[in-house]
Amino acid sequence: MSEGRLLSVLIPAVGGQGGGVLLDWIVDAALVDGYPVHGTSIPGVAQRTGSTSYYVELFTAREAGEEAAPTFSLYPVPGALDVLLAAEFLEVGRSIELGFPSPARTTIVASTHRLYSIHEKIPTGNGIYPIADLQAAARAFARTLYAFDALALAREHGTEANAVLLGALAGSGALPVRPEAFRAAIERKGVQVEANLRGFDAGLAVTARLREGAGAGTPAPPPAAAPAAVITDDALARTVAELPEALRPTLGQGVARLLDYQDPAYARRYLERLRPFAAGGDTELTATLARWLAVLMTYEDAVRVAQLKTRAGRFERIRRETGAERGEIVVTDYLKPDLDEILGVLPDRLVAPLARWAERRWPHARPALAQHVRTTTVSGYLRVWLLTLLKPLRPISLRARLEHARIDRWLAAVERCARWDRALALEVARAAQLVKGYGDVRRRMAAHFERLLAGVTRAAELEAPGGSFEAARSLAARYRVLVLQGPDAEPRAVALAEHVLARLAAADRTGALALL
Amino acid sequence: MGELSYAEDVKQLAFGEGEVLRGEGILAITKALLQSGVSYVGGYPGAPVSYLIDVLADANEPVLKPLGVYFEQSGSEAAAAALLGASINYPVRGAVTWKSVVGTNVASDALSHVASAGVIGGSVIVIGEDYGEGSSILQERTHSAALKSSVPLLDPRNSLDSFARFVEAGFGLSEACNEPVFFSIRIRACHMRGTLHCKDNVRPKVSMLSPLGAPSFSLERINLPPFTYAMEAQKFEQRLPAARRYIVEHGLNEHHRGEEDHLGIVLQGGLWNTTLRCLHVLGLADTRGRTPLPLLVLNAIHPLVPEQLVAFMRGKRRILVVEEGMPNYIERELGALAHEARLDVEISGKDVLAPNGEYVPQLVLRGLSRFLATAGVRSVPAATLEERYRALTAHQARVREVLPVPVAKRPPSFCTGCPERPVFSAMKILREREPAVGDTHVSADIGCSTFSTQAPFNVGSSVLGYGMGLASSSAVAPLFGKRVVSFMGDGGFWHNGLTNGVANAMYNKQDSVLVILDNFYAAATGQHHLPSTGTNARREPVRMTIPEALRGLGVPWVRTVNSYRIAEVVATLREALTTRVPGLKVVIARNECMLERQRRERPRLRQLEAAGAQVVRPRFGVDPDVCTGDHSCIRLSGCPSLTLRPSPDPFRADPIAHVDDTCVGCGVCGEVAHAAVLCPSFYEVRVVSNPSRWTRFAGRLRRAVIRRLAAVTA
Repeated sequence: MSEGRLLSVLIPAVGGQGGGVLLDWIVDAALVDGYPVHGTSIPGVAQRTGSTSYYVELFTAREAGEEAAPTFSLYPVPGALDVLLAAEFLEVGRSIELGFPSPARTTIVASTHRLYSIHEKIPTGNGIYPIADLQAAARAFARTLYAFDALALAREHGTEANAVLLGALAGSGALPVRPEAFRAAIERKGVQVEANLRGFDAGLAVTARLREGAGAGTPAPPPAAAPAAVITDDALARTVAELPEALRPTLGQGVARLLDYQDPAYARRYLERLRPFAAGGDTELTATLARWLAVLMTYEDAVRVAQLKTRAGRFERIRRETGAERGEIVVTDYLKPDLDEILGVLPDRLVAPLARWAERRWPHARPALAQHVRTTTVSGYLRVWLLTLLKPLRPISLRARLEHARIDRWLAAVERCARWDRALALEVARAAQLVKGYGDVRRRMAAHFERLLAGVTRAAELEAPGGSFEAARSLAARYRVLVLQGPDAEPRAVALAEHVLARLAAADRTGALALL
Repeated sequence: MGELSYAEDVKQLAFGEGEVLRGEGILAITKALLQSGVSYVGGYPGAPVSYLIDVLADANEPVLKPLGVYFEQSGSEAAAAALLGASINYPVRGAVTWKSVVGTNVASDALSHVASAGVIGGSVIVIGEDYGEGSSILQERTHSAALKSSVPLLDPRNSLDSFARFVEAGFGLSEACNEPVFFSIRIRACHMRGTLHCKDNVRPKVSMLSPLGAPSFSLERINLPPFTYAMEAQKFEQRLPAARRYIVEHGLNEHHRGEEDHLGIVLQGGLWNTTLRCLHVLGLADTRGRTPLPLLVLNAIHPLVPEQLVAFMRGKRRILVVEEGMPNYIERELGALAHEARLDVEISGKDVLAPNGEYVPQLVLRGLSRFLATAGVRSVPAATLEERYRALTAHQARVREVLPVPVAKRPPSFCTGCPERPVFSAMKILREREPAVGDTHVSADIGCSTFSTQAPFNVGSSVLGYGMGLASSSAVAPLFGKRVVSFMGDGGFWHNGLTNGVANAMYNKQDSVLVILDNFYAAATGQHHLPSTGTNARREPVRMTIPEALRGLGVPWVRTVNSYRIAEVVATLREALTTRVPGLKVVIARNECMLERQRRERPRLRQLEAAGAQVVRPRFGVDPDVCTGDHSCIRLSGCPSLTLRPSPDPFRADPIAHVDDTCVGCGVCGEVAHAAVLCPSFYEVRVVSNPSRWTRFAGRLRRAVIRRLAAVTA
């Protein structure tokens, strides 16, 4: 009797990804080829969209017979894992954190696609776990790495990622099971056989391709750079062409955006506002301002939303994304402008008193007008489209007055800070990232933006005699980061600003810096 | 019935002598029950043994009924334990199952009574020991329950043949000692796939086909003094000694001898696989579990057999006890026995192994290597063992070098399209927009709804047990100065909530709000049927409804809402929290579990589509240029299909919301955006496949008009 080897396969996954079927296929395939095998999973509620794992062990001695069946383990032993077959890329990181794969032994076959965890999704800013860290970790902890986007490949072949991963496992050669046995297992299971076989073959092919390529793990290519802006107005195009080369791409984009949003006069106003900064010669500051100024000047009022919702290409995009190229689609938009948004598109002189009253009457949660508009019907489309005709009123609207006053306060703060400290000005320019959302959310975020401007300017004033602006600079950065962590961190941002200012006012700069 | 259909697998339950069954641990256990000639089976579903109920339900018509075996999905674990009452007076074998330790707690009253009265028919309780990785409950072991009630506890080695052998032995043991017997199975073992060498099924002598007819009465079996004193004495004078004799005579525990005869490892049977694997990677065992270290494998961990333990320890210098959890009953028992027998042996256990937590390989490996470092192993030098241990663990020290930020946690949560999730969205909206009303104490309950306590909702301050949500508000409500809210699933309602929750609150005039999440099934365990599902586990129609039950108890204020209509749920919650009506207010938020609905609907629609019929599928989307990426919708909805993608706007820094293709079109994201007045980014798109000629014509016409209008403003 030959002493066989025990091979272990850990499948970390997200509940609901079809890991159970994947496990069944592997176990069945091993049985087709006559290997003693077993597999386990965690049952129950733990699977509902949370991290879960499946586990397979295979004994390489086929002739052993049942009398001398090996002692199978229900769990992988950290550091003694042969294959990590990951259906999602963050779960690779988790397995590494738990110590399972070892660079000396483990073949990692992993899909690079991400299913974001709720903790990555809820921050107001970007909470996504750094993918580069996961890629580096996978490379460092694998003896051999096959990393590719199994989900994209599955969609391409009209199947599921688990079938593609099965193919990749077969292709990796980490188990002695033949591809034919895997195919037989898919057929035996009898679920979506044709589609799953297509996926299996795609996975099989991808490992061969990865092996030929130098490194087995090829990260997804970075997203393509945005296409060059098209500026429809000749005079403006000339102005942009005369800008210094370093500023041209950003300002060009900005001008194109404002032309699309309003008209050439509006775009000229944009360039006018940037002129003093461009003249100052600080390219980085000017480009940062140009970026955020374009965002702030194209605030999403009801007219803008109507414009975006009635764009010619919109329904084609939806059709493409839903894979309904041949079918019909019926689109219903969920619109619920609140009183501020409705008043905002009307002439300032007409509605300003009403708006002031409304603010007193409903300090939080203004009344709103709920509508479900079927925009793929002519009448529904017209209802939204008619709003776009209000565009000429925009310059005299209530919203325009409020938005541009805020923009001017921001630019003034940046200009003032630039005279003190370049890095400080840059941080204040970046604060515009906070202004986003609609309705109450936007009011809350805009309030943080204003609080940041006021707080940081005041901090800088207090620091000015000393000539170093470290506290103001850090406050600007920390405040922005905290607010972007989400509503739970917002009170901390506010408290931080208060405490830092109190320390600075008490001439305790060291104490202020310690808080930051 | 449940999440998984075992219809194919159950065919194997009819296998006879010599045939080989291929399937999961649960299936092997079910087969062993039939091979033992059970007359009745029952239980309450709960992971990890919920699938046992599925197998039995699927097996009822083809296998159980023809044998005359009675099957029920009991109303609770207490009802399941009481089922064993049949074996007190009659020589019938029976088995019940539940999730432990929580199920054992619920069952305790009936169980203690059965254990006190004793049984004459073999009674086996299959407990799913929900302890350790993948568990969804508080962490306690069942061991102490077995000790206090003198119920023998089997914890066998993990293989399908072993499970079958010990189920069968469990019946023999039960009849030998007149006590019900716990058969414990671990989380991962339930779904362990393997093979079982079958025997013929045994037709029970007493069954629904050959009923008892004559009643049996014996005062000695009634739990009343003075008989209870006699019963207690019997436990220790007759029943446990009989159990010990059976354990020895039938070789339930295994003594493996080895060359390292100065050493020994005493382990629970259930830890055999992990312990032997750890010895294997250290080079001290082969793949088949042969090791030079002497082993005493306790497949029966209660009662222990002192003579057996002393015999194993005699002549040894060092013993390691591999025993999960605290208190360490086995280790202490060994210590006491060694002392009494004046053995010169050093006993290790919790000094080298972790005191608590499931004994997964990393824990056992560390404990073994600590023990072996000083044990004086002769066959392998200690330095070699240490070297091997280091080779397995050295890479772990480098984890933080490559992953400086801890990997984001991924707790389980409500599924895509879940009808319970929007109720918590509504609760959060009410809390944020109207804190005077909505920012109040919330008692959570057991079930899928417990996820409300997780991000992004963080709704629910306590979880006290199945169906206990309302009862746990009983003292908070009068002390809070504001109306409080309790949640309860329909499963919890029928299990415990109706009596301990609603009746208790009505009786004590509790002024608070109860929200019952009615999704037609016990969804957390895998869509098991409930009294209000419409059919029982045997597929017999049942007409019991939650509103009728509430009316029966005289609840004055009951509203039923469609849980997907968030604005309506918010309004109803607000009304319940502010109405002048005193006493209990009940909101029933109703809609079918989406997992179950999709399982039924998806194949049906696919079939229709393939047949060329017009099929409409709704799903939702986010306009990428309208979304500004503040993620408020995600914080209120928490839907798994509502995710992120990079903003198409090169000037925006943060990712935007995106509905991925797992969307089932429930509309909650849109409803949330509406109810919380978030943004105009959401749209519903109904994809019409195989559109009729009229639909296509109308579509073409509309597109032509819309194209012209769009060109005007372009």
